[in-house]
Amino acid sequence: MGNFTLGRYIPLDSPIHRMDPRAKIMAMLFVLIAIFFPAGWIGYGIIFVAVSIVILLGKLSFTYILKSMKPMMFMMFFLLIMNCLVLKTGEPLFTIYSFTVYSDAVFQTLYIVVRLLLMIMITTCLTATTKPLDMTLGIEDLLKPFTKIGVPAHEIAMLISIALRFIPDLIDETTRIIKAQESRGVDLKEGKMKERIMAILSLIVPLFVSAFQRAEDLANAMEARGYAPGEERTRYKVLKMEMRDWILLFCAFLLLVGMIVLSRFK
Amino acid sequence: MSITFEKVSHIYSDGTPYRFVALSDVDLDIIEGQMTAIVGQTGSGKSTLVQHLNGLLLPASGKINVLDHVIEAGSHPKGLKSLRGKVGLVFQFPEYQLFEETVLKDIAFGPKNFGFTEKEAIEKARHAMKLVSLGKEFEEKSPLELSGGQKRRVAIAGILAMDPQVLVLDEPTAGLDPQGTIQMMELFRELNQKHHKTVLIVTHDMEQVFNYCDRVIVMAKGSVHTHTTCEEFFRDSSLCNSLAILPPALIRMKDALKEKGFTIKDEMEDIHELSKEIAREVKHG
Amino acid sequence: MNAIEVKDLCFAYDKEDVVKKVSFSVPKGTYCTVVGHNGSGKSTIAKLIAGLLEKRSGSIIIDGIELNDQTICKLRNKIGIVFQNPDNQFIGSTVRDDIAFGLENHNVPQPEMDPIIEEFSKRVGMSEFLNNEPTRLSGGQKQRVAIAGVLAMHPDILIFDEATSMLDPQGKDEIKKVIMNLHKEKELTILSITHDIDEVSKSDYVIALNQGQIVLQGKPEELFQNEEKLKEIQLDVPFTFKLTKELKKLGVSINNHLTIEGMVNELCQLRSKK
Repeated sequence: MGNFTLGRYIPLDSPIHRMDPRAKIMAMLFVLIAIFFPAGWIGYGIIFVAVSIVILLGKLSFTYILKSMKPMMFMMFFLLIMNCLVLKTGEPLFTIYSFTVYSDAVFQTLYIVVRLLLMIMITTCLTATTKPLDMTLGIEDLLKPFTKIGVPAHEIAMLISIALRFIPDLIDETTRIIKAQESRGVDLKEGKMKERIMAILSLIVPLFVSAFQRAEDLANAMEARGYAPGEERTRYKVLKMEMRDWILLFCAFLLLVGMIVLSRFK
Repeated sequence: MSITFEKVSHIYSDGTPYRFVALSDVDLDIIEGQMTAIVGQTGSGKSTLVQHLNGLLLPASGKINVLDHVIEAGSHPKGLKSLRGKVGLVFQFPEYQLFEETVLKDIAFGPKNFGFTEKEAIEKARHAMKLVSLGKEFEEKSPLELSGGQKRRVAIAGILAMDPQVLVLDEPTAGLDPQGTIQMMELFRELNQKHHKTVLIVTHDMEQVFNYCDRVIVMAKGSVHTHTTCEEFFRDSSLCNSLAILPPALIRMKDALKEKGFTIKDEMEDIHELSKEIAREVKHG
Repeated sequence: MNAIEVKDLCFAYDKEDVVKKVSFSVPKGTYCTVVGHNGSGKSTIAKLIAGLLEKRSGSIIIDGIELNDQTICKLRNKIGIVFQNPDNQFIGSTVRDDIAFGLENHNVPQPEMDPIIEEFSKRVGMSEFLNNEPTRLSGGQKQRVAIAGVLAMHPDILIFDEATSMLDPQGKDEIKKVIMNLHKEKELTILSITHDIDEVSKSDYVIALNQGQIVLQGKPEELFQNEEKLKEIQLDVPFTFKLTKELKKLGVSINNHLTIEGMVNELCQLRSKK
C-alpha cells in the first residue's frame, strides 16, 4: 500500500482543502469534460496552467502527482510502440533497421499522455484535498435531485462512508490472519496448486467470518442508536457554498466553454 | 539451544511520516523449559517482540538466536518455515483463524503444511485434541458451531499439532470468562510441566502471572524494563506500583497489613500461607 | 418505581431456549450487574431489553410501558447500550461524527449538535480528542466515545454488554470510573453485564445466571456468601471472601468485606484486642 498514492487524501490545511466538496466535484467534472474537446496545444496549455494554480493553492507537490503516474508508465510506453507501428503519417523522424518512425506517431502519443496527465492532475486535486467523508456528503447532496427517480442518495452515501470507515480495520485484520496462518506453516508465495488454493482459503474464510461478525455488531450498534434506513434524520455536517466555491465553479465552467469555442475555431 | 536477543530493534513504516520504533536495543535471554510472562502496557512492544520469535517480523538491527536458528538483521534468514514448526505462535483471538469444515481437519492443517502425510497429520491432530481435552465427539463438528472457549481450544490445538518446542501465546485468555481462563491457564501449566514445553505468555493479568509463571519480562516503550523471577517481582507491591501495574490481590493484602504493623514474611506462595500468617498475628499479636 | 421489569422471559435462537423464564426487576437509579459464564444467556437478555432481539414469551416492562412492536421505537429512546467490541460500534469517521450519529437519528437540529457533543465528550473525558479518527484511539478511549454517543441521546437506562472485556487494565479502569461517576449522579439506571468481580463488588445488586436461568440474586455481599451455589456455577468470588473463609478455618472469626481496606481495618481491630 505504501507506494500507492493515487486517490489518497493528504491532510493539509489550504484554501482548496477548505472548499465545499460539491463545488470541487462539479468543477472537476467540468474540467474533465473540457479535456475531451480537441482544443489543441494552446487549450491544453491553458488547462495545465489553471490546474497548476489549484495544485499550488492546495499545497500539493508536483512530484507527488508524478509519483501517482508511475503505475501508468508501462501503459504509456506500450501505447508509444503501438502508435509507432501503426501510424505512418506526418514527417519521417528517424529510421532504425529500415523501420521509420513518423512524427504523427510521437505526437499522437504525446497528445494522449498529456491528456492522461491532466486527468490525473485534476482528479488528484479533488481526492487529495477532500476528506473521504466530505466527498460522500458531496455526492449525497449532488445525487439528491435524483432521489425522485429512485436513486437512494442517502443510503449510497452511508454505505460509502461506512466502507471507508472500516477499510483500515479490515487491512489490519487481513495482516493479522496472514500472520496467524503463516505461523501454521502457510506459504503464500510458493507451493503446489492445491496447497496454494488451501492457503488462499485459509485467509478468505476467516476474513469473511469476521466481516460478517463485524457487520452484525455494527447493525446492532446502529439500530440501538436509533438509525432506521429511509427515515428522516438531520445532518451534523452541513455543506455551505461560499463566494470562493462559486468562483471556482465559474472558472471551471469558463474553462469548459473556452475549450468548446477553441475546438470549433481551430 | 536457547532463545537470545542481542540488541534487537524493530521499526514500523520506516522512511514514512508514520515511522514508529516498536523495539529498541532489546537484549534478552529466555530460559527454556520455563513459563515466562511478558507484561507491559498496550504499545510497549510485547506483540512485536513475540512475532520475532518465529520470524514473522524480522529485526531492523541486532541478532536473534531461537533454538538452532539465527536471524540477523540485513541478511536473508534461512529455514524460517522449519522455525515456525518449532516455535508455535498463537495470536490474540485465535478462533478467528479457523476455516476448515471440521475440527479435526482444521487442526491437521498445520502439520500438513509442514510436509506430513494426511494420515500422519490426522494422528497428530488427534493427539493435540487430547492435549487440549477436546473429546472425540468434536472431531467431525464444524468449528463455527462451537462456543468461544471451545473454538480457542481448537485453535491452540492447531498449533500444538505441529509439536512445537516453544509455545508463544499472545493474550490467550482475553475475552474468556473466569472459568474458561482458569482452564486455559491450567492447560498451559500442564504443557509446560508434563510435556516440557517452553511457554511464553503475553498477558495483562497479574493474578495469572503470580499463580502460573516462573519468570516475568516487563516491556516498556520498546525496551525490556525488568526481567526477573516471579518471586522477586512480587516480593512487594513497589515494583508493580512503579510500573502502574495493579499487583495481585494477595500481595496488596499482604502489603496493606504490613503497613499497619503486621509482621508477615515476604515470600508468599498462596492464600493458605497468607491466612496462616494472619491468624498467627491476630491470635498472638 | 422499577426502571426495568422482566417477567417469565423466554428466548430461543432456534429450538432450544437460551433464556428460560427469567424474572427480575431493577429499581430506578440502581446499578445492577449481571454475571454468569459465557453462554449463560446474559448478553441475550441485554439485547432483548434493548429491543434488538424479539422475545419468545414473557414480558419486558420499561418505565411502566410494555415493550412490543408498537412501543419499541419510543422505548428504544429510553435505553442506551454499549457493546463489547470497541471497533465495531464506532460508526463515525471521527469522535465528533460518532457522537453526532445518534443525534442525527434523533433529528436534533444541526445548530444544537456542537454544544451537545462538547458537553458529553467532556463527561467521559474525551473533549480533547474530538477530531481524532478511531485508528488513533485506544480501546478504552473508543469505549468512552461509545458511552458519550449513547449518553447524548438522554437515555434513562444504560446497558453495558461486557463493555470492558476486550480492554487492557488501563481501559477497564477508565470505563469503570466513568460508570461509577454516572452512578453517583443517580439519574440513570445502569445494567452491566460483566465478568469483572471488582465491578460486581461495587454494584448495588447482582443477578447470577446459569444456563439461561437466574440462580442467585441479591446485594453483592449477600451473593458472595453463597459460596456453594457460586462454585456450582463456577463463578469467581473476591479475594477477600476467599481469605475470610480460610481464616475462619483457622479459628479467626471475621466479617466478610468487599474491599481489602475494610478487611485490613477489621484485622487491625482484632489484633489490638489481644
